[in-house]
Amino acid sequence: MSDWNLEQLKKWDDTIVKLAKSHDLDWYPINYEVCDYYEMIGNMSYHGMPSHYNHWSFGKSFERTHQMYNLGVEGLPYELIINSDPSIAYLMRENPLYLQVLIMCHCVGHSDFFKNNRMFSNTRPESIVSGMRNAKKRIQGYVESPHIGIKKVESFLDSLHAIQFHVYRHPKEYVSHKEKKAELLEEINRKISKGESPDLEQLNKIPLDHEQDLFSFLLEHGKGFEDWEIDLIEIVKREAYYFMPQIQTKIMNEGWASYWHYKLMHELDLPQNLHLPFLKSHNQVVQPHVGRINPYNMGFYLFNKIEERCGIDEIFVARSVGHDEAFIRQYLTQEDCEELNLFTFSTKKDHYLIDDVSDEEGWKSVKNLLVNQVGANTIPKIYVESIDEGDILVLHHEHDGRDLELDYAEKVVNHVSKLWKSGLVKLMTVVEDEPFEI
Amino acid sequence: MSIFKEHKTIADRSSSDRRRHRDKIDRAIKEGIHNIVAEESIIGKDGKKKIRIPVRGIKEYKFVYGDNSGGKAGAAPGKNIKRGDRFSNQQSSQPGSGQAGDEGGEEYYEVEITLDELSDYLFYDLELPDLIKKSIKKLEAEKIKRKGYRNAGIRPRLDKKETVKRMLRRKNIAKRDVSKEDLEEFPFDDRDLRYRYFKNSTSYSSNAVIFFIMDISGSMSTGKKYLARSFFFLLYHFIRSRYENTELVFIAHDAKAYECSEEQFFQRGSSGGTIVSSALEMMEDIMMKRYHPENWNVYAFQCSDGDNWPSDNENVDKLLQNIRPHCQLFGYCEIEPSDEQLKWSDETSLWTCMKVMADSNLKLAKVSNKTDVWEAFNHFFGGKLADV
Repeated sequence: MSDWNLEQLKKWDDTIVKLAKSHDLDWYPINYEVCDYYEMIGNMSYHGMPSHYNHWSFGKSFERTHQMYNLGVEGLPYELIINSDPSIAYLMRENPLYLQVLIMCHCVGHSDFFKNNRMFSNTRPESIVSGMRNAKKRIQGYVESPHIGIKKVESFLDSLHAIQFHVYRHPKEYVSHKEKKAELLEEINRKISKGESPDLEQLNKIPLDHEQDLFSFLLEHGKGFEDWEIDLIEIVKREAYYFMPQIQTKIMNEGWASYWHYKLMHELDLPQNLHLPFLKSHNQVVQPHVGRINPYNMGFYLFNKIEERCGIDEIFVARSVGHDEAFIRQYLTQEDCEELNLFTFSTKKDHYLIDDVSDEEGWKSVKNLLVNQVGANTIPKIYVESIDEGDILVLHHEHDGRDLELDYAEKVVNHVSKLWKSGLVKLMTVVEDEPFEI
Repeated sequence: MSIFKEHKTIADRSSSDRRRHRDKIDRAIKEGIHNIVAEESIIGKDGKKKIRIPVRGIKEYKFVYGDNSGGKAGAAPGKNIKRGDRFSNQQSSQPGSGQAGDEGGEEYYEVEITLDELSDYLFYDLELPDLIKKSIKKLEAEKIKRKGYRNAGIRPRLDKKETVKRMLRRKNIAKRDVSKEDLEEFPFDDRDLRYRYFKNSTSYSSNAVIFFIMDISGSMSTGKKYLARSFFFLLYHFIRSRYENTELVFIAHDAKAYECSEEQFFQRGSSGGTIVSSALEMMEDIMMKRYHPENWNVYAFQCSDGDNWPSDNENVDKLLQNIRPHCQLFGYCEIEPSDEQLKWSDETSLWTCMKVMADSNLKLAKVSNKTDVWEAFNHFFGGKLADV
C-alpha cells in the first residue's frame, strides 16, 4: 500500500539530522509514532498528549474533527508534535514517503523552537508526559470514588476550563500574598523614613495588585476546596502554563518549522518524483488564506524576509526571544504589509466593509489590528481586582476597545462563582464605552 | 537519531468522552425541542418523513470578544481592494467567511429524526386527559392472525422452507444410523409437511376523532392563522401518537360553518362576520352522525381570536354544555399576536363566556407568539403543570 517502510524513514532521518545539525539547530530527540488517521484524530483531540485526563469536551473535539474530515472540509494537519523531551511526533500511515520526509523536517524545526524559545522556559518538557499520565490516573480515581463521582468531577472541570487561559502570558512565577506584602511593607517603611506618608490602606487589600493568574489566586485565597478539587485546579493550571507559549507563538512556531522544512528539503537532494509533490504540499501549506491570517504563511514569509534583510543570525535571535506580538511589531514593515496585501474589515449586517488597506496612510492601523489578533491577544485580559465586603470576588476586564460577548461572560462568571465559596462573583467591564457590571 | 515505532493503540481513546458528549446533546434535544415545534419547516409533514433539525452545540464558555469588538485583519492575496469596498458575506470566497476562529460562534449539530421520534421526545412527559382514569375506549375488530404451524392443512398453506427443514433434520438423524448406506434418495415423508396456521382473533383498537375548529373571519390575520396552524399540528401529532386510528375533521367558520379539507382549512379566508355557534352546531351534528361518542374518543380544539357576535354567546354556552360531556377534551385557544395585543387589553367576549365553564375537560389557553404554542399545549395536556 504505502511507498515507504520504517527502514527508509530511518535512513532519511539520519540525513535530516546531520543536515539540521550543520545548521546549528538544537532540538530534543524525537520519537516518531506511526498511526492511522483515526488514531491521529484521537491524539489531536487530546492536544497530542499520549495520555490525558478525560472530559466530554475532548469527545466533542473528536466528533468535530472527524465530521470535518469525513465531509472533506478539512484535511488533517500533516504533523502533530508535542513539546516534550523527547518530543513525540505522529506520522500518519496513509501519508506517502515525500510527505513523511517533509513532516520529519518540519518537526525538527518545531522541536528546536520548543527547546530554544524563551516563552517555553517554564514548560518542563521532560516531565509533561508523565505528569499528564499521572493526572489522568488521579482524576480517574476521583471519578471512580463513591464520594466524588463523574458528575462532580466533570462539572468542576467545566468551571476550570471556562477560565483556563487566564494565567500569566509570559514566563513568571506566582508570588504569594505574604511575600508581596513583605515587599510592600519594606517599600512603605522606606517611604516613611524619607518623610513621606504613604497610603497604609493598600496593605489590607487582597490581592495587593491586579492578579492575572486566577488559578494561583484561587489556590491561595479560595476557601472550602476539597483535596481533589485542589488537585484539579493544579492540573488545569499546569496545562494552561504548558500551552500558553504555544498560543503566544503560533505564527513564529509554524513559520520557523516551515522555514526549516523548506531549506532542509532542498538540501536533501530529493529525486524528482519526491521533489515535485513536496513543492506542491509546501505551497499549499504556506499559501495565504483570503480574509484571514494563515500563521504558516505569515511566519514563513517573515523569517525569509528577516534573513534577507538582516542575515541568518537574526532569525536565530528572533526564534529565541520572540513571541508573535513582538515578532510582528518588530519585523513587519510597510513593504511586507503591501506585499501580503493585508487589510482590515468589519462585519456589517449583511456585508463586510473594507476599513483600511496597506498603503502609506493605512498600513499602521492594519498592523495594529493584526497585533490584536495574534498570540494571546485573542483572549480578553481578566484579573482579580479585590475581595469586597461579604466575600464578593471582584474580577476586572482590562478593556482595550473590544467589548466582551456578554452572554458568554455571564456564563463564565457563573462558572467562577462555583469556584468561589460564597458564590458571589462580579465582573467589571465596559460595554459601548459605559462601565458595565455582571 | 530519532526513534521510530508503531503507535501503541489505546483502543479508541476518546470513546467515553464522545459518549458523554452525545449524552449532553441528547439532553439538549429534549430541552430545546420545544423551540422548534413552531418552526414552519416541520409543520404539515407526515410522521415517517425524516426532518433535520438543528441542535445547538454544547458550548464551552470562555471570555471572548463580541461582535462589536471592532474590525479584523486579513490577507487578500492577488486581489485588488480599496477602502470602503463591500463584500457580501453570503459568498464563501469573501473575506472572513471561513471559520471565525475561536470566537463565540454558534455551533449547530444537525440531527436527523422522524416526526414520530420527535413526538416521542416532545410528548414524553405529557398525558392525554382521562387516559388513565377512563382508559381509552376500545373498538372490537375481528382479525385473522398467523399462529405457528400445523401438520395438516390445505395445499396453498404448505410452508416449503419449514418442510425442507424437517426433512433435513430427519436425514441427518438417519445418517448416524450406519446400517442405512443409501441416503442418495431421501424422499419427503408425510411427517415433514408443515402448514401455516391461521386463527381468528378479536383485537381491540382505539379510535380518536379530532375536531379542529377555526375562525376564518376577517379579523383572523395570516399571523394568527399561522399560530393556529402550529398549534393544531402539535395536537394532531400528539393525539395520533396515542391512538391507533385518528381521524380529523376540519371546521372553518365565519358567520357560517364549513367542513373542509386540511388545505382549505388553512388557506381559506373570508371577510364575513363571526358566529361561533354555527361551528359548534356543525360539530355536534357530525359527531352524532359519523363519530358517535360510544365508539370514538372525541377531542375538539377551537382556535379563534375571541371575536364573536355578541348575541351569539348564549348559543355558544348552550351548545358547549351539550357537547362537552361527550368530549375527552375541549380546548379553546385564543390567538392574539403580540403586536396586536394592545387592542385586546380587555377580555374578549368568547373568553368571558368560556371562562366560567373551564374545568378539567374544558381548557383555555392564550397564544400570542411561537413560544406560547408549546406552553398552551402543555397547559392542555400537562396535567400537573396546568394551572386552571
